[in-house]
Amino acid sequence: MNSQPMSPFENTWRKFKALFGAWLAHMTVYRAEILIWMLSGTIPLIMLAVWIGQAQAAGGTVGGFSASDFAAYFLAAWLSGQMIVAWVAWEIDFAIRQGTFSSKLLRPINPFWEYFMQHITERFVRGPFILAVVALGTLLIPGTRLVASAGHLLVYILAIILAFAIRFLIAYCIGLLCFWLENATALDELYFVLSIMLSGSFAPLDFYPAWLRPILEFLPFPYIVYYPAQILIGRLPWSEIARVLLVQCVWLAIIFVLFSWLWKAGRRHYGAVGA
Amino acid sequence: MIEVRNLEKHYTVAEKEAGLAGSLKSFFKRQIRVVKAVDGVSFQIATGEMVGFLGANGAGKTTTLKMLSGLLHPSAGEARVAGFVPFERQSNFLKTITLIMGQKQQLIWDLPALDSFLVNQAIYEIPDAEYKATMQEFTDLLDLQDVLKKQVRKLSLGERMKCELAAALLHKPKVLFLDEPTIGLDVNMQVRIREFIAAYNQKFAATVILTSHYMADVTALCKRIIVVDKGRIIFDGDLAALLETTSPSKIMKLQLERLVPRADLERYASILQLEGLNVEFSVPRAEVSVKAAKLLAELPVADITIEDPPIEEIIGQLFTQARAEVNV
Repeated sequence: MNSQPMSPFENTWRKFKALFGAWLAHMTVYRAEILIWMLSGTIPLIMLAVWIGQAQAAGGTVGGFSASDFAAYFLAAWLSGQMIVAWVAWEIDFAIRQGTFSSKLLRPINPFWEYFMQHITERFVRGPFILAVVALGTLLIPGTRLVASAGHLLVYILAIILAFAIRFLIAYCIGLLCFWLENATALDELYFVLSIMLSGSFAPLDFYPAWLRPILEFLPFPYIVYYPAQILIGRLPWSEIARVLLVQCVWLAIIFVLFSWLWKAGRRHYGAVGA
Repeated sequence: MIEVRNLEKHYTVAEKEAGLAGSLKSFFKRQIRVVKAVDGVSFQIATGEMVGFLGANGAGKTTTLKMLSGLLHPSAGEARVAGFVPFERQSNFLKTITLIMGQKQQLIWDLPALDSFLVNQAIYEIPDAEYKATMQEFTDLLDLQDVLKKQVRKLSLGERMKCELAAALLHKPKVLFLDEPTIGLDVNMQVRIREFIAAYNQKFAATVILTSHYMADVTALCKRIIVVDKGRIIFDGDLAALLETTSPSKIMKLQLERLVPRADLERYASILQLEGLNVEFSVPRAEVSVKAAKLLAELPVADITIEDPPIEEIIGQLFTQARAEVNV
């Protein structure tokens, strides 16, 4: 029967391809919906207009930011916000309450990878729209330098991957709470609101009250939007960039431990209702 | 193949009285109750055996299947399937089993079923040649050729169920847990699915546990049945033997060519029903052939059928017996 046994690597690659293919087909069915979802993440773009207005009214700069500085920051913040979008809490919540999570548990693959691939695939569908908006923004506001250098771009890619992993795992943990709670999406909403306020989507954190800054440094929020954006536009010295990447790794590790525990404990608690 | 010892699953459920007052009350003080969904179940099933799992709604059938397929963590006791502990969800275990639930789907709703099959092929690590052969076989057996490329959400219930079945068996599992596989399907489709399951069992020596509300599913497929009531096993054994012990007589239905007086008929056996030309006798099992010969020789018989009493009735008797014993 088994004509040619496949290597583990080959098997993993085939799973990756199959999930990517299926989700891509699925996403293209819903491409209009994805566009609408993107619009729901436009706060940085609105804030961009607000702050440029402020800068111009103040005679050129506000707190050391010129109009084109604001443009670069908010475009980078918007780009980062788009790259880290994760709705997996809703998916898990729905699947656990409707009972479809059971069929995922029956397959010889952790459901984590299915959801993960779903998000990665969606980024590919979203990508062209994102690039178009960023390019348009850069052209419309003269003097905007979104990417400081090729080196910064490379580090940014690393930082945004870490940022996505952090956000995805947090959302996953919130979703797993559904093993105990009736509904976990309210918590994800709470996270979303906090994240908008504290991640730097409203304003660069440089404008936040001095007492709040040290507290924020100890929360994950700045590390998923503010710092990646700052890296891309080149406002951080390399030593600071190294610190940011390190803190991201620490956060990732902490949330991964939490995730592993929730997964283990939650599965024991799972009632497999309805299915 | 399947070994289960003192398996238990107890849930705690929060109860709420109906209405607004009840909601408020339960918001501040929750009433917790322990439900013993499965309460000390033990059995063994050999390779290739097909076993029917019978019991009322909430008897614990589905909960048992969910523990055997690794979805639920048992509160106590042990289960082993093909040598694995199900809850550990080892890859080789999951490749050995399948659980089919009549009402639930694993197919991707917005895409043709074929796309879901391809995903399963990759996830279950099925080589291309084997995948093609299996698909060919399932397509023939289940008549899938016109269905595979249609969006799943546009399929009829019967078509979808056939695709679900194919998706769930694509990796050729050795152990099948079938929970109401024919629910909601019309009689033709039920027969179709039944034949397919029988063929699959034959061909791959697969071990099957089947729950169904349709007795016909069980009588057609399973020699052995396990009857559960309130989380406990009240019967485990041969279906035919059960029929013999609990119903010592058979039903003989006759259609006569002309009317025969009741008194003349009563001399042959006790009459269950008499309506014009149709008579129903109850005949002790041992005397069935002798009586049948006699009736055919002496009465103007147009048609004769001999049946077991409906199995629902027999199972019903089992339940009343079991509950009476508990109450004693």
